[in-house]
Amino acid sequence: MTMLRIGRRQTLAGLAGGMLVSRAGLAQTPILGGTLTVGLSNEAKTYDPIFSVQFTERYVLYLAFDTLVKYGPDFSIKPELAESWDTSADGKRIVFTLRQGVQFQDGTPFDAAAVKWNIDQRLDPKVNSPQRQVLAPIVASVDVIDPQHVAFNLVAPSPALFSLLGERVGFMVSPTAWQQRGDAFGSQPIGTGAFVLKEWTRGSRVVLERNPHYWQAGLPYLDRIVVQDLAGSVIGVQRLLTGEIDYVDQLTPADVLPIEKRAGIVLKPITVGRWYFLQWHVNKAPFDNPKLRQAFAHAIDRNRLNEITMRGQGTISDSPTPKGLWWYDPDLKSYPHDPALAKTLLAEAGFTNGFEYTLSTPQVTVFQQVNQLLQEQLGAIGIKLQLQPVAASEWYARVVSGTTNLTPTRWTQRADPDGLLYILFHSRGFANTMKYRNEKVDALLDQARTVYDVPTRKKLYAAAQQQIVDDLPMVPLIFGAEYAALRAPIQGFEWIPDEIPRFRDLWKSA
Amino acid sequence: MRRPGLCFGAGVVACIAVIAAAAPLVAPRDPYASGIDMLVPSSALHLLGTDDLGRDVLSRVIYGARASLAIGFGAALAAMVIGVPIGLVAGALRGRVDTVLAALIDLFIALPGLVLALIITVMVGANLRNLVLVLGFVMWPPIARLVRGQAMALREMLFVEAARATGGTPLWIIRRHIWPGVLPIVAAQFATSVAFAIFTSASLSFLGLGIPPPTPDWGGMVRAGYDYLAINPWMSLAPGAAVSLTVMGFYVMGRSFR
Repeated sequence: MTMLRIGRRQTLAGLAGGMLVSRAGLAQTPILGGTLTVGLSNEAKTYDPIFSVQFTERYVLYLAFDTLVKYGPDFSIKPELAESWDTSADGKRIVFTLRQGVQFQDGTPFDAAAVKWNIDQRLDPKVNSPQRQVLAPIVASVDVIDPQHVAFNLVAPSPALFSLLGERVGFMVSPTAWQQRGDAFGSQPIGTGAFVLKEWTRGSRVVLERNPHYWQAGLPYLDRIVVQDLAGSVIGVQRLLTGEIDYVDQLTPADVLPIEKRAGIVLKPITVGRWYFLQWHVNKAPFDNPKLRQAFAHAIDRNRLNEITMRGQGTISDSPTPKGLWWYDPDLKSYPHDPALAKTLLAEAGFTNGFEYTLSTPQVTVFQQVNQLLQEQLGAIGIKLQLQPVAASEWYARVVSGTTNLTPTRWTQRADPDGLLYILFHSRGFANTMKYRNEKVDALLDQARTVYDVPTRKKLYAAAQQQIVDDLPMVPLIFGAEYAALRAPIQGFEWIPDEIPRFRDLWKSA
Repeated sequence: MRRPGLCFGAGVVACIAVIAAAAPLVAPRDPYASGIDMLVPSSALHLLGTDDLGRDVLSRVIYGARASLAIGFGAALAAMVIGVPIGLVAGALRGRVDTVLAALIDLFIALPGLVLALIITVMVGANLRNLVLVLGFVMWPPIARLVRGQAMALREMLFVEAARATGGTPLWIIRRHIWPGVLPIVAAQFATSVAFAIFTSASLSFLGLGIPPPTPDWGGMVRAGYDYLAINPWMSLAPGAAVSLTVMGFYVMGRSFR
């Protein structure tokens, strides 16, 4: 514990240092011009927001496109292309007032008709957008009132709609360009964004240039943003040091050790950690045995997982939600590390001679580390795990198809509790690969997604999360620590808890 | 010192074999025990420092000899079991049997070993048994070719012809006259095959297709350490050096047999 505290203090001191620098930076007026070079292990398959699935695609989408609303650094919802909105008394109709004078990069106007077209595309089964599965249960139709006003008619009151309109669903595509360009739109996208995508050489780089007609006066500051492909974050650190790139992220606390005290490099820790958990098929033997699941939960030392894999800079997880988000419940009861109790539970589960199983191990450093520690900790109570390596690219498909039963997983947080809790734990959630089904949880999640009142939702989500943790469709492990590393001249960077960096407002001093 | 190469090679191999066998006695710590002093460079407590999970690098390198030797010897043996009989039969019988077998050998020799091993390992999954079989399968063609050449040369010898003239069956001739003649070459090739297998399995491990963690395995350790070269370089360098030294030992030994 002492070591952990010292670690934290050092981090805090580092943070304070970073703040001083950026505060000094803010005092200066942003300088126009310059190129920002971002290093990224880019998995992008398309830059058409309507079909975007990959995490890293959004690094570029937030530059070429704007969303209807945007997230603050605390996940609060702020105006963007929509200036304001009114919700009807029954909560089922929301009228957005759009920003005037906004143009797409192809010169066509952004207006209510464009918004309707964008949402209709996502809802149209013929278009087959992957976003349909989250949007269709919420939005019934969209009406154009006049060019500046557009109404969303909802199936039921839906507070989660706003968070959706700040990510993939909310990226506004130029209808004209999308129809003209067809399949080519994915590599030549047109939005209203501050940067225009000029070149995309797959496996090499993406080049974006300043949109001179951007609606927000004075923005952007940079002339160009280049997203350079990297074969891994460690290589990114080296290239940052040589000055070939200005920015790299997804760095673990160990990755940043060599650059912690380097002059000219600024580290930005993420504000809310990625959630790591151990999942299984809760209705299939052997994990349909609650005592076995409880034995796992009590045998795992989450503190030690955090101390070793995150160098103590993450936090342990008792539930899906970390501290810092409004739906976090400090009173939730979880499973303290208790190997003796775990051993008893394992025997009560019927495994008096121990238990053997295969633990799927995606070839991702953090998962390999977590799994080796899980193997050690569970081994101590007689649970023998064989680590089975799986290529990172194949792994999720295996989890979905059910060929992988026991595996660690991680998810980034969403701006609304409905985002993660519904898709993972509702019996109809599309990412519920645990096949978890509890009618009480379904009812709580269904109710919570139709209430606008935050205190009421908070209570509902607390009850749902407690029930989920009691049922153990997965064992919560930790919330990770991660860093972005920037060269010191880059100013204005701030993390959003979804862990997708927004480069639009950055500028480069000297 | 008539054969300094043999002495050196055999010496290195013997040392590594002893270390592998006596690993629990030689290793200063439990190679599997994690600790909260991660990625510490060399210290009095940990001579080669610790890895990303706080495990003692020296102890893991010592235990890693076991997996490497097991794979090396196992794969070389498997390759011999396939390659030697094919080479003997092809070389001793000639004729149509030889034409078919020689074509088969040429076909497999044309396939690059590492790539073939990689593809098969991806399909069958990586574990100790599979690695031994896959590498054995990849390594048999050069052995068969070598044995075939030697058998063909022996076949033309007068004593073999005499045996044939007196009515010796092909199998008897192979066992009695040709096998003893190819034995020295097989011994030399065995040592080189061990070296090749250790090297190739390290390459596979580096590509993430080695023995699954947490078993200490040199190739896998080089890979795991690669991310932390700037923090504790020993994590990669020590197992890397162990691979080089072992491979060199076997090669030198194999060459001096010839």
